Amino acid sequence: MSLLTVEHLTIRFGGLVAVDDVGFSAEDGRITAIIGPNGAGKTTVFNCLTGFYKPDVGRMTMRRDGREYLLERMDGFRIAREAGLARTFQNIRLFPRMTALENLLVAQHNELHRASFHSLAGLLGLARYRSAEKMAVERAAAWLDRVGLTHAADDEAGSLPYGDQRRLEIARAMCAGPRVLCLDEPAAGLNPKESADLAALIRDIKAREKIAVLLIEHDMSVVMEISDHIVVLDHGAKIAEGTPDHVRADPAVIAAYLGTAEDAA
Amino acid sequence: MPFAQALREAGMAAFVAAMLAVPLVGFRLADTSTGLRIDTRFDWVAFGVGGVFLGRLLLGLLRGRGPGSGLRLDLPKLPSNAGTLFGAGLAIFAIVMPFTPMADRYVVELAITVLIYVMLGWGLNIVVGLAGLLDLGYVAFYAVGAYSYALFAIHFGWSFWICLPIAGALAALFGVLLGFPVLRLRGDYLAIVTLGFGEMIRIVLLNWKEFSGGSAGLTSIPRPSFFGIQFTNNPDPGVIPFHEYFGLDFSPMQRITFLYYLIFALALATNFFTLRLRKLPIGRAWEALREDEIACRALGINPTNVKLSAFALGAMFGGFAGAFFATRQGFISPESFTFIESAVILAIVVLGGMGSQLGVVIAAGFLILVPELLREFSQYRMILFGLAMVLIMLWRPQGLVAHRDPSIRLGAAR
Amino acid sequence: MEYFLQQLINGLTLGAIYGLIAIGYTMVYGIVGMINFAHGEVYMIGAFVSLIAFTILGTFAFANPVVAILIVLVAAIVFTAAYGWTVERIAYRPLRGSFRLAPLISAIGVSIFLQNYVHLLQGAKMKPLQPVVTGGFVLAQDGGFAVRITYLQIGIVVATVVLMAAFTLLIQKTSLGRAQRACEQDRKMAALLGVNVDRTISITFVMGAALAAVAGLIFTLYYGAVDFFIGFLAGLKAFTAAVLGGIGSLPGAMLGGVLIGLIEAFWSAHFPIAYKDVAVFAILVIVLIFRPTGLLGRPDVEKV
Repeated sequence: MSLLTVEHLTIRFGGLVAVDDVGFSAEDGRITAIIGPNGAGKTTVFNCLTGFYKPDVGRMTMRRDGREYLLERMDGFRIAREAGLARTFQNIRLFPRMTALENLLVAQHNELHRASFHSLAGLLGLARYRSAEKMAVERAAAWLDRVGLTHAADDEAGSLPYGDQRRLEIARAMCAGPRVLCLDEPAAGLNPKESADLAALIRDIKAREKIAVLLIEHDMSVVMEISDHIVVLDHGAKIAEGTPDHVRADPAVIAAYLGTAEDAA
Repeated sequence: MPFAQALREAGMAAFVAAMLAVPLVGFRLADTSTGLRIDTRFDWVAFGVGGVFLGRLLLGLLRGRGPGSGLRLDLPKLPSNAGTLFGAGLAIFAIVMPFTPMADRYVVELAITVLIYVMLGWGLNIVVGLAGLLDLGYVAFYAVGAYSYALFAIHFGWSFWICLPIAGALAALFGVLLGFPVLRLRGDYLAIVTLGFGEMIRIVLLNWKEFSGGSAGLTSIPRPSFFGIQFTNNPDPGVIPFHEYFGLDFSPMQRITFLYYLIFALALATNFFTLRLRKLPIGRAWEALREDEIACRALGINPTNVKLSAFALGAMFGGFAGAFFATRQGFISPESFTFIESAVILAIVVLGGMGSQLGVVIAAGFLILVPELLREFSQYRMILFGLAMVLIMLWRPQGLVAHRDPSIRLGAAR
Repeated sequence: MEYFLQQLINGLTLGAIYGLIAIGYTMVYGIVGMINFAHGEVYMIGAFVSLIAFTILGTFAFANPVVAILIVLVAAIVFTAAYGWTVERIAYRPLRGSFRLAPLISAIGVSIFLQNYVHLLQGAKMKPLQPVVTGGFVLAQDGGFAVRITYLQIGIVVATVVLMAAFTLLIQKTSLGRAQRACEQDRKMAALLGVNVDRTISITFVMGAALAAVAGLIFTLYYGAVDFFIGFLAGLKAFTAAVLGGIGSLPGAMLGGVLIGLIEAFWSAHFPIAYKDVAVFAILVIVLIFRPTGLLGRPDVEKV
């Protein structure tokens, strides 16, 4: 059984079928990419997974630690908290007026809030909370280091350069302690050097954290280089699935991209 | 700007001014025994329109003299610890103030009023400034606190120190009861629902005469005692009043000074509590929610709970302030809890700079003291107040103190 | 039954006033996304201008009520629209694009300013107006109770319906309406495509003020008394109406206005009149809980 299984996922907006009977799965230690032309329904799939939209049909099952979570029945915040899905956004959603470090601490809110005994222990400055906070800061600092932003820890997130904001958002999602990390076009707007660094970071996360990574991406060089498994959507439906080499050779995929997939790769 | 263009713009401005002034300034409805009569004041219109014309012309010509020569006022850039120093200075001044020669009865009473608004501003700052929830009915919680204190003190004779937590708890409870259904709403809907709630509380207080005394309000609310020792010149037999206990002569200033320190302590407690919470997970969650609610949800934060906590805590401090208000006045009526009060408190928070504790103090001082100084022109007071709100917003939309201190720094935390 | 009918007529008249003000809120909210808190005061100014115009006509012993109302209507619309335009130009436009609460605070300041401005200039006393339109006819009679509908009430409902229809046409068919809808959806894009955004927003405020002026005129005629404080509560209820109907929707604003008018009329007839405003707000809260986008509002899909 897979860590995350999506079956028959369908969602309609008015008359438009945005996602049509799509199914795929995600495994620990594997990078699964969802690709497709603009408007293929990729982000809509993510929005269903993370609880922002409710699908009309379909089942999304997360299995971890011997428990099953039916995502379509859960509130968005509980999906992140209990099932362990964390995501980034196509148009970066950091907390712009808070510092990079604060952003990473907010991601650890639930754990810290419990440790502060709903603020009581925190107000009294009890050792139990102080040590929990210290651990959270250490974890945040470690992630800042891994994304190369230690120097900007106390800078406002909104004032960071674009590429740094992208990496900070990934670090923030990781600080939430996910089992599935959903990245929505993480390479959008990055230059080739930054894209390469990003690919290295994602691979590093897969290798060291052993979690599942779900990736929506347009940059085919990134996708083909790091993905273990690729799902291709077009007009809301799944048209192909498989390894990068398999997908690259699939005529349906080439047709959908009008040949651009080959050019980009 | 060339003269002709300035002239044309000034002409336009004068035309608009005339359109505005003619109907409402030019004519005045005067009551007579047989109905209404129209008086005219076209001289006023002429002065007004002429003034606008000249003013606009001057402005247009001045603006023409090179870039950046327009009217600009910038606050000087201050070192980052200037706020802390200034705050500490203010606090020390507030402590010694009652013993300085300037402290007559009027000054201390006025200072108490300012401190009440500072406390209300700090309370609302949690809701609006930190959590970013637009509350236009904050005065409702102030009213709940005031009436619960008054009712418990009158009917059960409980002391201030017992009633104070009850008033705060009841206000918080009201906050939760109101917040639970409406906090899921979008920001502007929340604003209008809280506004409606504030009006509802006032209407109920105004009409439920058996409970609240209606428009006459509640009178002879017990005054506070100095931990059981009363401030009075003619005590009941066997009771030792404050001045005898400490071997002083009786003076009404003793009670006023005590009230002053009481509200100072309450406000300071609010401040420390808020500052502490800001550095805790809940405080950071408030600010994160203000910045981006969708991102909060994606990180597993339950927005409703976080909002509710901000709403309840803000309401609680409003309740405390209300209890103090009741015991200070000795008399409360719905008239003290109109929408204007909510608007003033909100203005204090926003003018001060959302989320800034020091900004609240400065804005409260400004918005309460300036109208007070204009007492002699009392009929112009509110119109100037409204004008000041607009002008300050135009001048500094982000508020007086826009600086935000991080709740934690990497270097300091390790 | 007769009693019910009478309350229905009263409620519809009141609802027409709320609805007309509510359109101003809903249009402005739709296009700039702010609560124009001063809109209630603009309505109050409309009522005052109407009263002043009527009184002036009265001193010239002007007799024909239809012509008098038309003259006053034009005067009220023109002068009130000037206030609407000026408020936007001075207090809101410089704050566009600034952070969310700044225009709201500015609007509250404008509201306080205008209220006290009229208070200072015209005095605090309630100003009466001699009835301009009198008469009506009896719709139904049941023993001692007669259901009356006055010519004024008929005129109010007809005028409101006509205005509503004209407005809907304006928004749907003209280039101005297209520009408004374009600004509503994406102001930046509209500007890039050559829509004069500043002008479009100005016109929106002017139109809202003009409708508020009509509402003010109706109020003056119907209740025959005006003071500087009528704007606050009417504005609050009209905004409630806009939210109830679904903010951004013109038919919604009208529907919300009529509903609130009816609620008030029926509540006043059967329950303690003092609590009628409580009832209005309670219903607002209930609607928002179960249908947060209002009755006719489009459900807004969250952009993620």
